[in-house]
Amino acid sequence: MKGIGERIGVVCALLVLVFTGFAWRLIHLQVLQHDYFSEIAAEKHSIRLTIPARRGRILDRNGEELAVNIPVRTVTADGTHIHDPAALARVAAPFLDMPVDELTEKLSSKRPYMVIRKEVSEEKAQDMMRAIDKANLHGLYLEESALRSYPNGEMLCHVLGFIDHSGHGIDGVEKMFDAELAGHDGFRMIEHDRKGREIVVYRGQEQLPENGTDIRLTIDMALQAIVEHEVDEAYRLNHPAGASAILADPTTGEILAMACRPNYDPNHFNDAKPDQLRNRAITDMYEPGSTFKIVVADAALNEGIVDANTRIYCENGHFAYGGKILKDHHGYGDLTLKEILMKSSNIGSAKMALRMQDNKYYDYVRKFGFGEKTGIPLHGEISGLVNPPHRWDALTKTRMAMGQSVAVTPMQMVMAMSAVANGGKLMKPQLVLSKGEGSAVNPPEVVREVVKPETAKFVATALQGVVSNEGTAPQAKIDGYSVAGKTGTAQKISNHGGYLEGRYIVSFAGFFPAANPKLMGLVIVDDAKLSSEANFGGLVAAPVFSKIGGKAARYLDLPPDNQPSVVEGDHPKTASMGTR
Amino acid sequence: MSVNRRRATNTIEVNLLARCMVVVCLIGLAALFFVYLKNQQQAVGNKARLVEAALREEEARNEALKAKITAMTSRGALQHRLDEGYITLQAIRDTAIARVTPPAPAEVDGVLRTASRDPESRFGPGVPQRSVNR
Repeated sequence: MKGIGERIGVVCALLVLVFTGFAWRLIHLQVLQHDYFSEIAAEKHSIRLTIPARRGRILDRNGEELAVNIPVRTVTADGTHIHDPAALARVAAPFLDMPVDELTEKLSSKRPYMVIRKEVSEEKAQDMMRAIDKANLHGLYLEESALRSYPNGEMLCHVLGFIDHSGHGIDGVEKMFDAELAGHDGFRMIEHDRKGREIVVYRGQEQLPENGTDIRLTIDMALQAIVEHEVDEAYRLNHPAGASAILADPTTGEILAMACRPNYDPNHFNDAKPDQLRNRAITDMYEPGSTFKIVVADAALNEGIVDANTRIYCENGHFAYGGKILKDHHGYGDLTLKEILMKSSNIGSAKMALRMQDNKYYDYVRKFGFGEKTGIPLHGEISGLVNPPHRWDALTKTRMAMGQSVAVTPMQMVMAMSAVANGGKLMKPQLVLSKGEGSAVNPPEVVREVVKPETAKFVATALQGVVSNEGTAPQAKIDGYSVAGKTGTAQKISNHGGYLEGRYIVSFAGFFPAANPKLMGLVIVDDAKLSSEANFGGLVAAPVFSKIGGKAARYLDLPPDNQPSVVEGDHPKTASMGTR
Repeated sequence: MSVNRRRATNTIEVNLLARCMVVVCLIGLAALFFVYLKNQQQAVGNKARLVEAALREEEARNEALKAKITAMTSRGALQHRLDEGYITLQAIRDTAIARVTPPAPAEVDGVLRTASRDPESRFGPGVPQRSVNR
């Protein structure tokens, strides 16, 4: 009996040991490794549903929508939920614009996540889901998405830019403010039933999306439409390689309109050629020609090297310097500073530059913002090219005075001329007025004072002469307003060195009303298909400026300052080697 | 013998049995109520899901229509329509303009101005300006 009792005791002890082991394992699984297994279970059953953030809109200064979102759906499939791929494909294919066979093949896969089609319109997607429900089929699902749309098509394309298929900004404002526009996606942890429907009671952690910020630009679409129309006309008439126009407020640096040709439709950016994608106003540099004469005039006057009454002998049109002959198109004798600008005398400008020290002259060129980026918030801006004095040869200084041996961007030229209009203060170009609803308006930013206000005022007055009947650009006149400006006609540079014969980049940069400037404009026409006799800044770019200015003044209802009207048949008469 | 038989018979404790049955019934009822509540929760969840989906659908449709309206009324589209002759621009007669500022005579340029955007001419010099949206 004792032996049996002992054996029973041993068996019981073993059983107790075994069950203690089981109990320990249970505690180990349920308590000690609770988090680990919970995570695995959650991963198996829970799905992280992304709640996409709405991309911010881009608006003009008056709230006109320039870039908006169109809600679309991405159709996805869960192969494990599809029992009859052929039947499902027959129902869904007409809504997805896909051949039934192709869709059947896709749906036959047993993969749990497949993207079937992107950018399906909301209406079509909903109709498809109703048809699938009616046929008692399942396995296809909809995901929220959005398509970026630019309602004005090609208008302002280089400023707006575009986004790629993953929703990231690629160019223009879309790229520069991608982080603000994109916002942050939210998420929700959900569980599905066997038909793939969400089980609402098992909803887990949730974070709402932060929608993107609306960006309000300084652009005024009414002015933009005026500029686009006139640039289009110039492009159609002159068949140039390119054309650009910028309209700005010289006192604040706000860019009101900006257009370049050739352009593209950002809704179909894939069809655009690289040449069309280029924002020539900031990515291209050119020899500015005579528009650059404002720099030497301002510098010489500001340094007291010349004054209003100083007369400079212009060598009757032939000036031998540095082993070369520098020419004016017409021979002039003694000219004042005002007359040098009005007649666009190369020799007069060169002689003013020669009276200045190299470093001093170079400083003024740099102070006007040439050789550095303007800081406009657009992708791809370049600095232009201004060589320091130690790299100059004997002729560089005289050539720079007439806008050669230096390369600038149209935006730099606009800001430099704006400094003259703005009492000598160089402004930073503003493209964004505000970010987000009710946010503060970006204040104007002064980069530096380039010249004294009285210097700028004198040069501004002198530039009015350019638009007179005796100047190079009477066709830039705007009925009812005094205009100050400067023409530029520069020979194109050959890729093989030297200049291209008979091919010019012509421009006109001006502002009005001259005494109290409200608008600053620049028009550049690159390589117009015109004869050399007709291809001048005063003949090609100035009329475009005049048309833009006239319409803009009427739109803004600017009070006229009663300048006499344009005399019909006025034509500029000056020209010179290289720059006119 | 009879004593032994009586001892072998177990008595039914009705009170205890009744108490147990009541407890079991209560637990059962509670369980049924729990299931009922869970079903209700599920049904309400489904309804919420459907309402959310409908709301989302309407919002998306609204957004799509707004985008369509924006596209149809954009400057580019209107200019295109204007060029096609589908719409025309009509000059507004001076008599049909309700002025918010005193009428200004035509300047020497012959342009009759409708309303001035210049705050000074609108409110007079020295009057504090509101934010000018241009």
